[in-house]
Amino acid sequence: MYKKLKPYLMLLPVMVVMSVFILGLISAVLQSFGYIPVFGMSEITLRHYINILESRSFLRALGFGIYISFASSGISVFIGTYVAYLIYRNKKETLWVRTLYKIPIAVPHAIAALLVFIILTQSGVLSRIFYNLGLIDNLMEFPELIFDRGGIGIIIAYTWKGIPFIMMITLGILKKIDARLVDTALNLGASKKEAWWQVEFPMILPTVLTGFILLFAFSFGAFEVPFLIGPSAPRALPVVAYIQYTSIDLSLRPQAMVINVIISTISLMLVYVYILAFRSIKKYFG
Amino acid sequence: MKDFFSKLIIFIMLLPLIPLMLWPFIASWRWPQLIPLFGDARGFKHFFSAGSNSINILLFSILLSIIVTIITLAIALPAAKAIAFYSFKGKNIIKTVILLPVIVPMVAVSMGIHVSFIYLGLANNCIGVILIHLIPGLPYAVRILLNSFLLIGDDIATQGKNLGANSLQVLWYITLPLIMPGVIAASTMVYIISFSQYFITFLIGGGRVVTFSMLMFPLIQRGERVLASTYSIVFLASILLVVIVADKVIKGFFNDSNFLV
Repeated sequence: MYKKLKPYLMLLPVMVVMSVFILGLISAVLQSFGYIPVFGMSEITLRHYINILESRSFLRALGFGIYISFASSGISVFIGTYVAYLIYRNKKETLWVRTLYKIPIAVPHAIAALLVFIILTQSGVLSRIFYNLGLIDNLMEFPELIFDRGGIGIIIAYTWKGIPFIMMITLGILKKIDARLVDTALNLGASKKEAWWQVEFPMILPTVLTGFILLFAFSFGAFEVPFLIGPSAPRALPVVAYIQYTSIDLSLRPQAMVINVIISTISLMLVYVYILAFRSIKKYFG
Repeated sequence: MKDFFSKLIIFIMLLPLIPLMLWPFIASWRWPQLIPLFGDARGFKHFFSAGSNSINILLFSILLSIIVTIITLAIALPAAKAIAFYSFKGKNIIKTVILLPVIVPMVAVSMGIHVSFIYLGLANNCIGVILIHLIPGLPYAVRILLNSFLLIGDDIATQGKNLGANSLQVLWYITLPLIMPGVIAASTMVYIISFSQYFITFLIGGGRVVTFSMLMFPLIQRGERVLASTYSIVFLASILLVVIVADKVIKGFFNDSNFLV
């Protein structure tokens, strides 16, 4: 009996902490249906969902968030995979290259936002360089890259942290690939390019896709960067949720929860799509 | 050429750190001058001034994240071991649930749980903050330790047991020394994650529990470049220091108490 229970007992403390997480999610869903007994709201209604889904500012924020996450994760994956591949190919690559690139991973997002601010604001480092090169005549000519509607500053901050992350996980997998597989392909007459697409790429694809999903889900649900260097319209969804949540008007809380539930659902759906994609990749490459 | 390209990308990525290092020492930097006027390190003066209380907050913050790290590791160890070496019903579901915090944003979860925390007296105090800090690092800790367990296998521990060691001795003299690299990697990760949390600390701590992130965040928000970069440098330096010290301490600890190596 004890033997059967033992693994559950070993998992119990972690599950207690995880239950806080699960309860948080369930509570967010209940509150999104207007059920907050502490505030005397106990009527279950879809009203808040309808309110949110009909509001144009929500739809713009949703589009903005998807665009930011897609762009930043996509750029990170392309550059990160490519640079990782270059480092992997160059066996003599020095230790400092293999170590230094990891620094941005440990830097928190708020500081990444500060870096982008220092470099790219209209009176920032880059605009000074542009002026001294004669590219612009005054600081207003420098494009607005911070607090801008295009979210360029946000995308750069996420990409700055995303590239080394993708490099790290890709290098981890590339190192594990048996070099003989590539050698065999080359011996059988494959070009380096063909060997990459037929041997190495399929092997790292699941990892790279996982990286994309992790970056996407994180940037889609994070508050710090868009709050610090994002535009005031459109705002990212977590920022909208936070503003509604902290409003003095308590009746806005269910709406904040609707946004939270939508963010979480999209993130979870992404994982589901990933699992489906993963299966078809396995089928395709055998 | 391609060699050069990879180095160039890494170089460009590290370049923004240089102005961050310079800003604390700048007195004035009029646009469009390229070279700033260096001054008296006003940011550091503010950091060290008693009035700002920054050092106490920094120390408190380090302590809080160390507690979070120790609890996370203590609960992740048995969990990772159970997943690695036991087969039981619901294993896959549990594995998935543990990984969820990586995908579902903490912003949503913490807002959802906030009302219950207030009701249970867990809001606006350290216990609630520590509890909520346990969540984001947990998936990484379990994942890293699970990989370590799978790498070393169960054989040496079983041998120890057969030779008459009790469970505690096996843990202390065999398992922990063997998975030490995993323990160090997991602790580092969990510490950095906890130390960097702004939103959930702010929400659950209700402004009463003040961590270093909460000191730094408004400075960045206001665009005060001198102070914001000073506090950012202190932030990063403190992480580096704690990680190096922890690495030494953990390694030293198990080298003394272990006769396997």
